[in-house]
Amino acid sequence: MWTRAFNSTNLTKPVFRLDPITARKFSRFRTIRRGFWSFILLTGLIGFALLAELFINNRALLVRYDGSYYLPTYGQNIPGTTFGLDYDYDTNYRELKKQFQEEESDNFVILPMVPYGPFESASKPGMYPPHPPDFSERHFMGTDGIGRDVFARLIYGFRIAILFSLLLLACNYGIGVILGCVMGYWGGTFDLLLQRVIEVWSNVPFLYVVIIISSIVIPNFFMLAVIMVAFGWMSMTWYMRTATYKEREREYVLAARALGASDLRIILGHILPNTISVIVTFIPFSVSGGIVALTSLDYLGFGLPPPTPSWGELIQQGMDDLQHQWIIASVVSAMVVVLTMVTFIGEAIREAFDPKQYTTYQ
Amino acid sequence: MATTSQSPQRGTVLLKVEGLTKYFPVRGGIFGRRRGNVRAVDGVDLAVRSGETLGLVGESGCGKSTVGRTILHLYRKTRGRIVFDGRDLDTLGRREMRALRRDMQIIFQDPYESLNARHTVGQILEEPYCIHRIGARSDRNAQVCALLQRVGLPESAASRFPHEFSGGQRQRIGIARALALDPRLIICDEPVSALDVSIQSQILNLLLEQQQVNALTYIFISHDLAVVKHMSDRIAVMYLGKIVEFTDSERLYRQALHPYTHALISAIPVPDPTYKKQRIILSGDVPSPQNPPSGCRFHTRCSYAQDRCRREEPVLRNLSTGTDEHLAACHFAGDLPERAS
Repeated sequence: MWTRAFNSTNLTKPVFRLDPITARKFSRFRTIRRGFWSFILLTGLIGFALLAELFINNRALLVRYDGSYYLPTYGQNIPGTTFGLDYDYDTNYRELKKQFQEEESDNFVILPMVPYGPFESASKPGMYPPHPPDFSERHFMGTDGIGRDVFARLIYGFRIAILFSLLLLACNYGIGVILGCVMGYWGGTFDLLLQRVIEVWSNVPFLYVVIIISSIVIPNFFMLAVIMVAFGWMSMTWYMRTATYKEREREYVLAARALGASDLRIILGHILPNTISVIVTFIPFSVSGGIVALTSLDYLGFGLPPPTPSWGELIQQGMDDLQHQWIIASVVSAMVVVLTMVTFIGEAIREAFDPKQYTTYQ
Repeated sequence: MATTSQSPQRGTVLLKVEGLTKYFPVRGGIFGRRRGNVRAVDGVDLAVRSGETLGLVGESGCGKSTVGRTILHLYRKTRGRIVFDGRDLDTLGRREMRALRRDMQIIFQDPYESLNARHTVGQILEEPYCIHRIGARSDRNAQVCALLQRVGLPESAASRFPHEFSGGQRQRIGIARALALDPRLIICDEPVSALDVSIQSQILNLLLEQQQVNALTYIFISHDLAVVKHMSDRIAVMYLGKIVEFTDSERLYRQALHPYTHALISAIPVPDPTYKKQRIILSGDVPSPQNPPSGCRFHTRCSYAQDRCRREEPVLRNLSTGTDEHLAACHFAGDLPERAS
């Protein structure tokens, strides 16, 4: 259980303390080990993907050349001429490393774990891609049909997918919470009209709209997000409306109103903290929904334009080329692992935040 | 017994309610059209004198809580006038109304429902001061501690959460919150109905004590006649959204005029095993307030009902022969057989 920080000099304003209901929910979540460990793992995976340049990159981590050190990972391209090569485009560090090793000088190159970028076709002489997994070449999951490293594309694709679904989540929930609170708290004509708008709008077939838009323009990351938010805000609005409607009539809200609290104070100070569990419970399922949605759009070719690394595109390649199983096997395993973890987290949160255990109905 | 505090302005009318009506709409259809009304309160007149306790009794669903909440503008009234201290609440702007809320407070029935479970008691009790910007931020601790002391709770309670307290203690917190702004009128909406009998008396005594110290005026809402009798100077009996009888508390128990009041009084338990009760048991349920009976609303359950009661709605009239008022809404009030007591 939680410990209470008791501070006798300041009784009303503790520095930072969770309210007991939330504290109990967190401790319950920790006891559901499957979900808790999935949460840790997934957080680690997201962290890894966000720092992917340090692990999977065709640029070196550190180069020592003629007594000076270079950190090419982030920032501008370093032209090959810097290292005494005969070209002025971005240095090929794998070649540079071989060259330095042959020269046996003090110069050296430290390459990342996987020395390939997600956009780069690394061709092998005398062989057509796709190349099977090869640990000596550090193609841990082989390459795809045009010689790009599958592992690199998997991780960079995951990064885009998770950022996309988090952005989607933030927008959907932001709109949903604001509109839902307004609808539920003030009610009236606005509530009535918006209810009908939501009912009509949720019957518009989302996929057709995306197909139509994609056939006119090639959507970029933010356009796709806007389209998906335009069709995704309704469910959260609906839930928040109901939750607010219920909370609004409870006596502690009446008591605050009797004290003269403003509507804003009531919503932010009283209603939102008591409805937050509704929001939290849905988050993991929205995240997995976002990943699946982006992947399936990419698979169908209505998602992000090539050569953006994406799981959908990998699935499509793998399905077209089933003899080279490593492509489809990698991406399917990755999807299964990630979505299972998200589901475990979701289940654990739902169980820990189960409103039936903490709310009393009259 | 009822308060005997003699504040200088005692007796002047603090709150006047005229023809207060509250209908809750019953809606239906996709555009939420109004299909009917629940007539929770239907034309209630009350005058509450400064320093007194006005009891409001009736069975559940008769609209007594709605009266209290509508007076505080927690529900928007359908019709009627509420005059507090000579000021019509309708004429007040937003800001003035907010300032006036300092003078009128409410104590709720269920002390767990009425306290936000996510706030500490300290946060709950400092909220009134934050809202009305009373005192500096640094004074808040002292203010909260003083409040806790007033209601008989230790200072350490401030850092705890409502669920750590028993029902009686929680109700003390609710009372402390209502007292925070030094109101003149407190509406006690069944403040002891959710509590054990042993705790009830403690809370009632706390309320009486605070009334004496602070010259408070109470509207005491309850369905428990014994409690109302103990607390009130005057009592209004409600039935289906209307007041059926209104007089001094002593007088009401001595000679009730309305048959509904007879039935209520006969239901009070008497702590005497040799006492032979003559209970009047009302048959049937309270009619639906959505479609109240014609004429006298009580005629469906009244043993004295006659044709006139079904046709004609009785008005609340003064039947007292003396100087004090005794209002009753019954065609045959005064002509009915005396209640055996």
